[in-house]
Amino acid sequence: MDFQLSGEQQMLKDSARRFLETNCAFEHRQPLIDNGSFDVTRWATLADLGWFGVSLSEEQGGFGGGAIETAILMEEMGRVLFLEPYWAIGVLAAQTIAASSDSLWSEVLLPAIVAGEARPVLAHNEPEARGTVEFVSTTAVESSPGRWRLSGRKSLVVGGNIADRFIVSARTAGAVEDRYGITLFVVDPGADGMTVRNIRLIDNRWCADIELRDVEVGEDSIIGALGQAFAALDEGHAHATVALCAEAVGVMEKALWITRDYIKMRKQFGVALSTFQVLQHRMSEMLIELELARSMLHRALAAMSSHTDARAAALSATKAHVGRSGKFVCAQSIQLHGGIGVTEEYVIGHYFKRMTTIEYALGSSHVHIERLAEAERKRAA
Amino acid sequence: MQQQHIPDLKAYREQAVAWLAEHAPRFAGAAREGRSGEEDLQLARDWQALKAKHGYAGITLPREYGGAGRTELEKIVFSEEEMRYDLPLLYFSVSLSNPVPIMLRHAPEDYRRRLGPPAIRGEHIWCQLFSEPAAGTDLAALRLRAERRGDGWVLNGQKVWTSWAQVADWGVVIARTDPTVPKHAGLTYFFLDMKTPGITVRPIRRLVNEPDLNEVFFDDVFIPDVQRLGGVGQGFKVAVETLMIERYAVTDESGYGPTLEAFVELARHSRINGRPALEDGEVRTAIAQAFVERQGLRSIHRRAVTAMAAGKEPGPEGAIRKLLLGRTRQRLGALALDLRGANGARFNPDASQVTDFARSWMDPSLRIAGGTDEVLINTLAERILGLPQDYRPDKGLPFNQS
Repeated sequence: MDFQLSGEQQMLKDSARRFLETNCAFEHRQPLIDNGSFDVTRWATLADLGWFGVSLSEEQGGFGGGAIETAILMEEMGRVLFLEPYWAIGVLAAQTIAASSDSLWSEVLLPAIVAGEARPVLAHNEPEARGTVEFVSTTAVESSPGRWRLSGRKSLVVGGNIADRFIVSARTAGAVEDRYGITLFVVDPGADGMTVRNIRLIDNRWCADIELRDVEVGEDSIIGALGQAFAALDEGHAHATVALCAEAVGVMEKALWITRDYIKMRKQFGVALSTFQVLQHRMSEMLIELELARSMLHRALAAMSSHTDARAAALSATKAHVGRSGKFVCAQSIQLHGGIGVTEEYVIGHYFKRMTTIEYALGSSHVHIERLAEAERKRAA
Repeated sequence: MQQQHIPDLKAYREQAVAWLAEHAPRFAGAAREGRSGEEDLQLARDWQALKAKHGYAGITLPREYGGAGRTELEKIVFSEEEMRYDLPLLYFSVSLSNPVPIMLRHAPEDYRRRLGPPAIRGEHIWCQLFSEPAAGTDLAALRLRAERRGDGWVLNGQKVWTSWAQVADWGVVIARTDPTVPKHAGLTYFFLDMKTPGITVRPIRRLVNEPDLNEVFFDDVFIPDVQRLGGVGQGFKVAVETLMIERYAVTDESGYGPTLEAFVELARHSRINGRPALEDGEVRTAIAQAFVERQGLRSIHRRAVTAMAAGKEPGPEGAIRKLLLGRTRQRLGALALDLRGANGARFNPDASQVTDFARSWMDPSLRIAGGTDEVLINTLAERILGLPQDYRPDKGLPFNQS
């Protein structure tokens, strides 16, 4: 992002780029992937760099920044195809907890996240949710006074493989897509009735499918007020969505420039591919998509402090645009590389894979466009 | 336009349909599930052997070398019907389409009699060693060196993107025998035993776990001169002849991906924002568009076959089909992932490309291999529209000076 960054923000961007380019070389990532895409030492380093606190307030143990700081980091992470679950813990979980108005749990968890000592992961997504935040079919029933019993399934929980605790959303009242009636519970991954199955995604990040069968927790494990978790989840997901879009911009930008360099270097018929005007035009179209996506990201960031409907509309428009632009840019990056583009050994295909998982996370472009259309229909009626 | 009626073909098709209905299910679809790569290859060999026994293998190849000695049109008819089953055909798709037929045209008679039948029965697989790191679209830029030694040649260098080299028994290879003449003129064509000392095959890991592609390294590999196909310096001509053997390749009408019907079925069981996906405008448009396009492609296919039946050369039909199928396959793949929601991001490494939409999106190799989209478009512009060829500064220059 380059829309009037403050001096401090520019420093954050520069230092993040230096750190990530030095430490996250594509050639060295296989051992990390085999280790669940997590490295405990590096996690501690990220904490030392202060990255987990960039968008938390000072009273929450952070450094007082906001969504822009997160976006700066995420865009840089996108450029190097960062694998570790910074987004899952440092953004989605942290922002949800921060928005829960639960001072007790916030005091326990947020400073520990900032210090790199706690790794809570939000177990919220369900197989049929498709990015609908209020979609919660997992249930929590009060089995005896002060005791709750949780049952249900959570799916593709990013970072779930290395969580030290889950924050499980469950329905204590209402119907599956009601906003009221969702409650957050802190659950130990090893608790009786928990089945956690680790899965590697196509982009080499790891996640977990979780099954809860009559998992018992006490009242003290509830975060926020009973049945009132939607607002916190919505806030957490807003931050997570804009962060993901920022990452996508980094992914697209790097894919574009790698491809630019490749077609300048690759020769066939005695000339560089870059001399073919049709390929120059293709690259210009890719640049146009990248710049539109980046501008949409700026718009989403600007909307983060506005009222709910306007923010939701801006986020949906951004997610949809970034998804479609990103798929175009990354698919064309492969096409312009030719054969080498479809190999696992060469980096460009991994940008394409990462972009694909971004597109289908938190609601695809298609879903968000439908959502915008639905909102327009309601407004017009 | 008059649709030609070819009665012989009708009878041939009916026989093929009946024969396939009787035998193919034991080798296709569910019969292949849960098999290891090796077991699938064995199944493919068994299928090939059964076809050979009944005259459906090497359909256009001469009978004296194990083929069925029939016409190209009969082969097209059989392929059309055979593709309706999810059979393990891919291991032989290169072998029997190009390398084996070219060998049977140019190799000495004793080699033809010895090597033809086992290749057609599926006991041997042949690979085609053409592309190199610096020679993809521009095949004539290849660098693999072949130097004269005694009664043969010694090869040094590298090939890449070689399909099924890891299971191939024999291969055809094109190498540079004279770097001092312009690039097309200095090439010579050979066939060789893949177990010749000095050959190293290294698998290429693909984005979708398909195990077909390899790099092949040549380190002082000796080939007897008797295994040369065509004259010294005539290699490019033989290579072009190899690629032209199939004047018109029958491609699966789903671009080797899941069918349009499978997409509709998926949409029937999916919901978008709480509504049935089949009510969604974008989904309906995509289905209708693919449906209309399929009518066009079927029609253009019939046109090509009719032209061939009338003794004419097929025109741009094959290129147009490949282009459109590649695009549509990828587009429907993306939309299918969409319908599956976040589950789309899971990847099943064992899934078949004809059932798994994730592959259709993740693996655009149909748009790259055997002529990229861009090359096909160029060819249409130059050959059909008569537009000028791109500037080629290396034209006519000796290879070692360009």
